[in-house]
Amino acid sequence: MFLVGPFTRLHAVSVANMASGYILNRGVLTLGIHCQRVCRNVSLSQVREKKRWMKAYTYLMAKKLKLEGPPPPNPRSQQPHWDHHAEVQAFSSRLHENFSLEVLKTAFINPCYLQAEHKRRQGLGVGAESTALALEDNVQLSEKGASFTRSFLTDWCRASFPILPSDGVESVVRHLASTGVVTYVARNLGVGDLAMSAECPVPDDVLHSTFMAVVGALLESSGAEKTGLFLRDFLGPQLIGKDLFDMWKVVNPMGLLVEELTERNVPLPEPRLIRAAGASTVLPLYFVGLYSNQKLLAQGPGETLAAAEEEAARVALRILYGYTENRRPLDFSPLQQHQQPLNQSISSN
Amino acid sequence: MTSRGTASRFLKSVLQNGVGRYVCQLKRVSIRFSKKGQSSLGVREFIEEGVVDYAKSNPSTVVYVSPQPCRVPKIVAEYLNGNVREEIVTGKTSPQISELLTKLTDQSGLDIIRIRKPFHTDSPSIQGQWHPFTNRPPSVGPIGPQKQHAE
Repeated sequence: MFLVGPFTRLHAVSVANMASGYILNRGVLTLGIHCQRVCRNVSLSQVREKKRWMKAYTYLMAKKLKLEGPPPPNPRSQQPHWDHHAEVQAFSSRLHENFSLEVLKTAFINPCYLQAEHKRRQGLGVGAESTALALEDNVQLSEKGASFTRSFLTDWCRASFPILPSDGVESVVRHLASTGVVTYVARNLGVGDLAMSAECPVPDDVLHSTFMAVVGALLESSGAEKTGLFLRDFLGPQLIGKDLFDMWKVVNPMGLLVEELTERNVPLPEPRLIRAAGASTVLPLYFVGLYSNQKLLAQGPGETLAAAEEEAARVALRILYGYTENRRPLDFSPLQQHQQPLNQSISSN
Repeated sequence: MTSRGTASRFLKSVLQNGVGRYVCQLKRVSIRFSKKGQSSLGVREFIEEGVVDYAKSNPSTVVYVSPQPCRVPKIVAEYLNGNVREEIVTGKTSPQISELLTKLTDQSGLDIIRIRKPFHTDSPSIQGQWHPFTNRPPSVGPIGPQKQHAE
């Protein structure tokens, strides 16, 4: 309704132009209308001055956006400038890996995408045989990748933290292979654009299985050693800055500490109050130290005596398992593959 | 605007890039230019001479070249963390455009806003962060100045 009114004035002026040859539109000087000739009988007119309909149009579109919400996201593969083959090649070289491209392309195809495509083709009414999708989905690759990830990460954690018990190693591995961490890594590596799924944005569990399928594809293309390095380089750094007990929920740290110390034949810990401050205020602070054989194992702060004792037990466990903040950093150096040939060292004399 | 009124962020990297292996963060570059406009002269020269070399030396970036009728030639760079950056290259010469592309390739995709501190560490303390009780003999009483022993 708003938009028709101002336009009628423009149409009336441009129609009068048809008979004239090179005469300018008479509205140029008075109304500031610019006429662009498309061909002899058609000219498009634009108004260069302030457009009276613009404010009403903007308000209407803002109201529509508020009512209906933002437009649904479009997958990147359906936006302009997308070449699937080139993107897959770039993905492979970005990670410095040699994938076999067919296996990698299969890894990105999820079963939900195949079902959605099948339904769409049926809905279009085309015969099922002529348009059968000759694509495989990534379920097998995903399972292979997931089991390899778990086993490799367990071995790697055991090697990096030799003293950590198996419960701890399991919790760390479960955290690293969990949906949250894997989808964060996958989205920041560009897997989200390449993964084909029924919904957009790609849901977390679908992205998780796509990443595992990529790992499975790498396993098939390059072998276990390279895949292990890949996992170490991309999932390993997600441990940086994380505390052990964020990943491993220990309900009774004192009990666990007592067990560990009895195994090592160390006398049991005795908690002693070391420091107290602000006992009668809103924020009291107590430091409790755990002594074994009159030697300090660890001390920890807390707001109440019980909390301080638990924290001291956790600190003692961290020191025992070698998972403190000031431990030696994890080793991410690339494998030394080349060995200096003897001739070179002789000739360089 | 002041630094409090504008956005700011801390120094960080995307996915701890470089700790494991270095991954080039630029995933896609789309160059939009016009076949005949004067403002796209530099872009057209770059596409004749430099774009193939650039694409060969950066195999991890996909380069899309789209000639369209447009007045303003643009380079749209998409990064792995999802950020999209548009650079307007009207009137730039071919070497300037290749410098710009090198700059875009070396950037991580994080926003170009004020960085609060030029340093970041995940292990801030080796011997333990100082707190008021460090190096004090244990005492349960009220906190006061320590008795200096006569030397």
